Amino acid sequence: MSMRLGPRVGEVIDRDEPLSFTWNGRTYPGYAGDTIASALAACGVRVFSRSFKYHRPRGLLTASHLDPGCMVQVDDEPNVRGAHRRVRPGMDVRSQDTWPTLSFDVKAANELARRMLPAGFYYKTFMSPGWLWPAYERVLERFAHGGVVGPGKVSALDGNERYDKRHAHPDVLVAGGGPAGMAAAVTAARSGCSVMLVEEELELGGHLRWGDDVDLTALSELRGRVAATPGIEVLTDAVVLGRYDGNEISVLQRGLPHVAERLVKARARTLVAAPGLIERPYVFAGNDVPGVMLSTAVRRLVNLHAVKPGDRAVVLTANADGDATALDLERAGVEVTRVDARRGGDVTRALGRGRVRAVELGDGRRVECDLLVTATGWTSAVSLLTMAGDQPRYDDTAARFRPDASRLPSDVMATGGVVGDGSCAQLVAHGEATGREAARRSAQSSVTASAAPPPLPVEPHPALFRGRTHGMVDFSEDVSSKDLFTAVEEGFRCPELAKRYTTATMGPAQGKLESVNVVAIIAEATGAAIAETGTTTWRPPYAPVSLGALAGRLREPTRLSPLASWHHSHGAAPLVAGAWIRPDHYGDPVAEAASVRDGVGIIDVTPIGKIDLRGPDVSRLLNLVYVNKWSKLEVGRVRYGVMCGEDGVVIDDGVTGRLAEDRYLMSTTSSGAVTVWEWLESWLQTERPQWRVHATPVTTSYASINVAGPRSRDLLARVVDDVDVAPEAFPYMHVRTGRLAGVPGCVVWRIGFTGELSFELHVPAGYGLHVWERLLEAGRDLGVRPFGVEAQRILRLEKGHLIVGQDTDATTKAYGAALDGLVKLDKDDFVGRPELSWGGQPGDGQRLVGLRMSPDSLVPAEGSQLLDHRGLICGRVTSSRLSPALGRAVCLAQVEAALAEPGRQVTVRLVDGGTARAAVTEQLAQVDPEGVRLRA
Amino acid sequence: MPETTPVIHGPVAPAPPVGVLAGWAVSRRRSGAALTLSDHSLLAKAAVKAPWQGALADVLAVPFAGTLRRTAASTELLLTQPGPGEWLVLAPPGEQTALVTWLERCAADVDELVSVLDVTHGLCLVRLTGAAAPDLLAKECALDLSERRCPDRTALRTAVSRVAADIIRDDRDGNRSYLLACERSSGQYLFDSLLDAGAEYGVEVTGFEPPGVTEQTARAD
Repeated sequence: MSMRLGPRVGEVIDRDEPLSFTWNGRTYPGYAGDTIASALAACGVRVFSRSFKYHRPRGLLTASHLDPGCMVQVDDEPNVRGAHRRVRPGMDVRSQDTWPTLSFDVKAANELARRMLPAGFYYKTFMSPGWLWPAYERVLERFAHGGVVGPGKVSALDGNERYDKRHAHPDVLVAGGGPAGMAAAVTAARSGCSVMLVEEELELGGHLRWGDDVDLTALSELRGRVAATPGIEVLTDAVVLGRYDGNEISVLQRGLPHVAERLVKARARTLVAAPGLIERPYVFAGNDVPGVMLSTAVRRLVNLHAVKPGDRAVVLTANADGDATALDLERAGVEVTRVDARRGGDVTRALGRGRVRAVELGDGRRVECDLLVTATGWTSAVSLLTMAGDQPRYDDTAARFRPDASRLPSDVMATGGVVGDGSCAQLVAHGEATGREAARRSAQSSVTASAAPPPLPVEPHPALFRGRTHGMVDFSEDVSSKDLFTAVEEGFRCPELAKRYTTATMGPAQGKLESVNVVAIIAEATGAAIAETGTTTWRPPYAPVSLGALAGRLREPTRLSPLASWHHSHGAAPLVAGAWIRPDHYGDPVAEAASVRDGVGIIDVTPIGKIDLRGPDVSRLLNLVYVNKWSKLEVGRVRYGVMCGEDGVVIDDGVTGRLAEDRYLMSTTSSGAVTVWEWLESWLQTERPQWRVHATPVTTSYASINVAGPRSRDLLARVVDDVDVAPEAFPYMHVRTGRLAGVPGCVVWRIGFTGELSFELHVPAGYGLHVWERLLEAGRDLGVRPFGVEAQRILRLEKGHLIVGQDTDATTKAYGAALDGLVKLDKDDFVGRPELSWGGQPGDGQRLVGLRMSPDSLVPAEGSQLLDHRGLICGRVTSSRLSPALGRAVCLAQVEAALAEPGRQVTVRLVDGGTARAAVTEQLAQVDPEGVRLRA
Repeated sequence: MPETTPVIHGPVAPAPPVGVLAGWAVSRRRSGAALTLSDHSLLAKAAVKAPWQGALADVLAVPFAGTLRRTAASTELLLTQPGPGEWLVLAPPGEQTALVTWLERCAADVDELVSVLDVTHGLCLVRLTGAAAPDLLAKECALDLSERRCPDRTALRTAVSRVAADIIRDDRDGNRSYLLACERSSGQYLFDSLLDAGAEYGVEVTGFEPPGVTEQTARAD
């Protein structure tokens, strides 16, 4: 049965562009410009969903984004506001969370158990026994709406393309595109401001859109002014989610051609809130039966979408909008019975289940009808203003809460219906005055004197919240007025408590439809006045927002070495190490480690942090931040150092070389590069500003390559141009600069993390690939091969070198890291010295030790607990690998100092629940403890 | 072992066709799109540190958070001061030695601590050109890049796509244009992020056109 009307003056549908879509698998027609709900309503569809708790049939209530009765699944997207989303050709629309069908939903049996499901039943029912909670949870998941991501036709946008963000810095942000909002935006823009005009509906205009000819003329004129005024960015189908300190304002923009949802993070100099009024439902028995609608819903359907919402209507009206709705219906050919609430008229019950069949009036009459329209009052949309500090006050005359402008900060203003009533011309005048003042406050206007907007009148309105019967208050959460009375009886007399107990105002409508009714009914139940009962608190977000929109596009920085493409093309397994993507291995890490022990290997160590230090006071800085001594480091020498925090805890380690009289190159751990640089800057800028030192991060200026193994000197000699690499000319822990493979400006350190003879080459990054390939080419006959991070970890563990952050933790002081010999308490001062001197005597706390497992081939997982003879935890394994060189496990562990002596036995608790024995070794190094190989 | 002329590889994989310019592997692609992104990492780059408002600052004469074009060491330079007492100086490809030498000569004339580092290899530098450039950047950067706040010849330090970066407004041929500098290892990520963010504006990759530091785009390659 078609309910489509003939053409209307202000209709938004395009009758020249028909389309079809499916609803629960059946094809329906519509027009471009239709919402999903209007297209279905034009085809006679009355029921769009089932309610949250009792699975009662639900139809249209507001026919807007707020409509709690029209949440649907569109393609693979759940919880789509069907009364707001425009229908598209081929759209696959389905009802949500009904089984087996929308018209016959088995879960409607909940209503039979309604007496067992009072307000707060879940607090009482699911408390015990606790072990049954998983079962409760599964049941609740089946019955509670939430939508399902996935079923249905997959939308064109993939997950990462659905969302993004942008930043904006308008002088004035106007929230609300009704007549006052448009006027404010135009005036502010004409005063020289950049303006962002945000409107939740699909078009600008507010209530003018479904108004009479006068309204439509005014609408056309205002839209024309907006379009003709430069400096206004209009965002329709966008909602202001929240206002934060400094006028940071979040806006959710929907339905863009390139992205489904975009979060706009705006920083406005002045916010003008022009959200208008929201029509509130009336509470009576059967007020949620499909066919009971608000007057604005009817006017939207009739005048915007040319849909006849019923054939016989009862209109309960308490205001001019209700009267106008009755006229609209009559013009659409609907038989109308008016019930004037201003003259004592009332509705006590709507009869019917899937649709309204009749209405019982306050005077006892029964009227057969299929549509009941209520126009019983308005709610001021004060959310944004309360987020800015406003505390709205209840106005008995207007029968609604109104903002208290005196509490607003100077960068927040309000205009339009939220402030007061008035004709279109009055609203526009108020908007213009507000826009002018907003421009002045944004300091973009030549008008310097403050010109407060003229006050808007407040029209009297009857206080209509609940009739003589109980009905639904929160349509989203299935909370009735009876539930609220029960909550009050149980002691939840404050709206904030009753809200949480009953969940009223906590559904998708977020209280915008029901909050005033909730307060009024609590006031009725407690016998208090509404003004003294107060309201719930409005917090961001104003409207539900998807997590995807908050997250935006995936922006996770990754860092690549200049050799990354080579690693990738040679089959390296990637290892994510912080932001760096490193080669973990090239297929056989054990063979890679063996090649270093037996011949020569090269590894990309570019992520090692590198900081260029210059100035006459560098050695003072090094003496301050390292625990060991640096005053006598000669040019051409390299020294290992450990940094501690002021609490004596190890924060980083590395080597620093002196390249020239006042130039040093410091290396740090890969993960500590930024932290150490900030640490140095912190000391230089705040504690020692008089020291003449410049610290500049140069980590990525160089491609860093470690050449390791007994043949590494032979290999290096083949590519080095002007550095003598002979042992006596280039001893261990020395640094040279020169040309490598024809590349000038290289730095070569002779150091060793693997325990083998090795050289660390730092090459200007753009030449990294060239030098890497030349090393492989030049060392082909030496058996050179690349090795990855895993092989390096095996080798360093065999050698007993610690890794800060793995073999230490946030409590490990220098002594606990087996660095006793490095700490020089005879220095005048260094960071951590007092703590290491006073509180951290060697022997306290835990110590880093080597472990030998029994059986010795058993490799315990890193993190395995160590137990003492009493079975108490006494430490943990920090690093463990199977040593190819030794054919047995090598481990480092943190263990209580009393158990750290060589030979002491501990028990290792294994991952599989078993245990094994282990003995503390003589040294950390298990291979070449004397260091003969690396000094070769 | 026979010597080969080493090719310098920038942080951003060049879009084909690829050629060599001043020793660097570069994209030879030419786009006529209204919004283009190009890798300018081959420009010679020097980082300078000296006391803010000190003697060297007077010599360089670049306003804080601003830029200055000048000719020195027989080449055109673009000087920027994105941080207090921190300058990033750009010169045409291959001119890093002349650039550093000139800066060190400037430093030698002042009695204060000055650091001059050749960061040609250490920084990624990309250029985003087109009227929609600020719209694209608004998706990746929280700063107000409006004409009022960020006019031509502004240099700012901020985060772009969550990476620390310098943004240098450097219009070319009257078109909005920004140079973005970040540390080299994040360069490919930043480049890809900008392309992703700019898809809705039709951004396209275009190759480097020398000399890269002047106000005009060179017409001949």
